[in-house]
Amino acid sequence: MNPKNSSTDSPTINPETWVDHYGDYLYHFALSGVRDPSAAEDLVQETFLAALSARKNFASRSSEKTWLTGILKHKIVDHFRKKAKEPSGDNIMSGTEALDKLFDPKGQWKIKPAKWDVDPMKLYEQREFMKVLNDCLSGLSSRMASVFILREMIGETTEEICKVLDISATNCWVVLHRARGYLRHCLEINWFTSMSTED
Amino acid sequence: MKHWMFNCKEVTRMLSDSLDRELSFHQRVGLRMHLLMCKFCSRYQRQLLFLRETMHLHAKHSEDMEPLIKLPPKVRERIERTIHNVLDRPE
Repeated sequence: MNPKNSSTDSPTINPETWVDHYGDYLYHFALSGVRDPSAAEDLVQETFLAALSARKNFASRSSEKTWLTGILKHKIVDHFRKKAKEPSGDNIMSGTEALDKLFDPKGQWKIKPAKWDVDPMKLYEQREFMKVLNDCLSGLSSRMASVFILREMIGETTEEICKVLDISATNCWVVLHRARGYLRHCLEINWFTSMSTED
Repeated sequence: MKHWMFNCKEVTRMLSDSLDRELSFHQRVGLRMHLLMCKFCSRYQRQLLFLRETMHLHAKHSEDMEPLIKLPPKVRERIERTIHNVLDRPE
């Protein structure tokens, strides 16, 4: 179960070793995206099955892992597309009400952004930080999370997101603005202010 | 007439938009002027970029890092079985 295998420069693919080598990684990726364990399990299985039937097309230019991740990304986009068609009673902006209290009526900061002491790479390696980030992501409405995940994790353009989720470009930009504002604020409260007291 | 002095609330919106689309000339100039004077909006900008970078790392996931979450053993078995069934099937 060594995730560091030597297949990166090898043109062959070994489906027998996929689950051992990439199962946890793909599951982690899927779950970070869709936040639903059973949906994430299905996405991983579908990814492997799609990869199996397309394995003749595997171009050795990329690693197996990159290739499988690409397939999983497509599956996640499809998942969000299907979910967007389901009727949803909740307001897409719900959960982000706290943002309106950050500014005074003139639009000046009332609760000023604190100084963050960060080294992104090191911080990323900190499990605790990733846990806080995931908890913060869970605070977004599921539709807002879809938009944010598609943009920042899958790397879709806003044009593409509009098509997938059937929303307008303006709506998409507002949603991303609220999602970023919310996550920034949530990380500040739950992570950074406990590390630094300077303002 | 368009105003050039954006407030902090408007600036946070433009900072987010600048990550997804090109701002107008008017917005770019107003934004730059504001950021020169406002340390909190400059901070906000850095923090949004940090958030973006973190999400990219989240997606890429370093090879050396043990996954935070692991595929549950039962699911792992089920998927392995499924793969074997497909591989055993004559083409």
